[in-house]
Amino acid sequence: MGVSLVPTLKLLRPTAMIVGTAFVGLLFGYWLNRTYVPGTEPVQPINFSHQIHAGLYQIDCLYCHSNARKSASAGVPSVNKCVGCHQLVVPDRPQIRLVMEYWENQEPIPWVKVHDLPDFVHFPHNRHVAAGLECQECHGPVETMDVVSRQAPVEMGLCLTCHKDHQVEFGLDCLTCHK
Amino acid sequence: MSFIDDFLASWREYREPGYYDGFDYHWTMSVDLDRCTGCGACITACQAENNIPIVGEDAIARGREMQWIRIEKYWEGEFPDVKLRFIPMLCQHCDAAPCETVCPVSATYHNQDGLNAQVYNRCIGTRSCAVYCPYEVRYFNYNNHHWDAPLEQQLNPDVSVREKGVMEKCSFCIQRIRQAKDVAKDEGRRVQDGDVQPACVQTCPTEALVFGDQNDPDSRVSQTMNDERAYHVLEELNTAPSVVYLRKVETDAV
Repeated sequence: MGVSLVPTLKLLRPTAMIVGTAFVGLLFGYWLNRTYVPGTEPVQPINFSHQIHAGLYQIDCLYCHSNARKSASAGVPSVNKCVGCHQLVVPDRPQIRLVMEYWENQEPIPWVKVHDLPDFVHFPHNRHVAAGLECQECHGPVETMDVVSRQAPVEMGLCLTCHKDHQVEFGLDCLTCHK
Repeated sequence: MSFIDDFLASWREYREPGYYDGFDYHWTMSVDLDRCTGCGACITACQAENNIPIVGEDAIARGREMQWIRIEKYWEGEFPDVKLRFIPMLCQHCDAAPCETVCPVSATYHNQDGLNAQVYNRCIGTRSCAVYCPYEVRYFNYNNHHWDAPLEQQLNPDVSVREKGVMEKCSFCIQRIRQAKDVAKDEGRRVQDGDVQPACVQTCPTEALVFGDQNDPDSRVSQTMNDERAYHVLEELNTAPSVVYLRKVETDAV
């Protein structure tokens, strides 16, 4: 006596579709949340601690991220800059050895961008540094973070509120930020 | 009815020719048709500067061409007394632009520098602006475009790559204007004449195109605007364009 599964499966099809859609939706939501919502902490290739460098040893943000002063992109320091200090400072720690490995292989460290603006946004770091804005206003208290997490929500409202508060000349014009 | 009155009053003020002269800059271009040889270098320069896709033969056959500046070609007279005329046509950045009034989402608007701005993120692709534009200089992205390797390496990072379903058009190389303003701000001065050159102006071998600030009376462009050959294309439509054309001089007519 054979029992066919087909009628049951047919009956279950709508349910399966709903569950499937919900599952895909949840996955998408999780990804969206992870990518765009503040508090994201990407895993970096080296456990670099801003708490030690910027907090404990009071190294100025612009010492390493020196491009923020002169270009649109703040940039990450070259391996050269890391090695410049760490040849002498604690060169034997395992994490520093990793840096040295990159240095010897002449490869850049594949840092993961924490605050990644969309490509259609024109955000010149140099203008904002020149205006006397503290890095912490957008990036949060980086000097207290062992692992840097995204603090500013990547939203248009953030730019507009700040431009409004600081009464930036033509700061609310679309072409100020959109490119 | 006061709401409508207010609306009309502000509307009238905004459409008034010369309203944009009150601001710092009023970017203007002049095109000397006596100098234009129709070589098309401006088209190529624009294509490279502004990440304009090469849409391909099929798309062009279907009227989906994409070039922010184009050279229009006109034949005049009958053979053998035939003359070939060129007129470079780009977004005229009209002060009273018909395209701006029809956009349902305000994706295109006039900014304080006299630029007709297009915000790609806002555009929902109704294409009404292209219908209303009397100069037909707005181009619609019917497809997502891709650049074959290694061409994607030459994309300009200061200009967004437009997606399927948005309208695009000449921006007077807003990225260069922005850059010049940044430099001027750092040095604590106004943008001087010659600081900004859109890609087409920079590349024009005969210097037929001149770009500058109309509010600065000493700029090259304001001087060419006062030339007696100066005219606007489709002036009768009262769009108050920011692009001035200089009539070709007929040497054999004298």
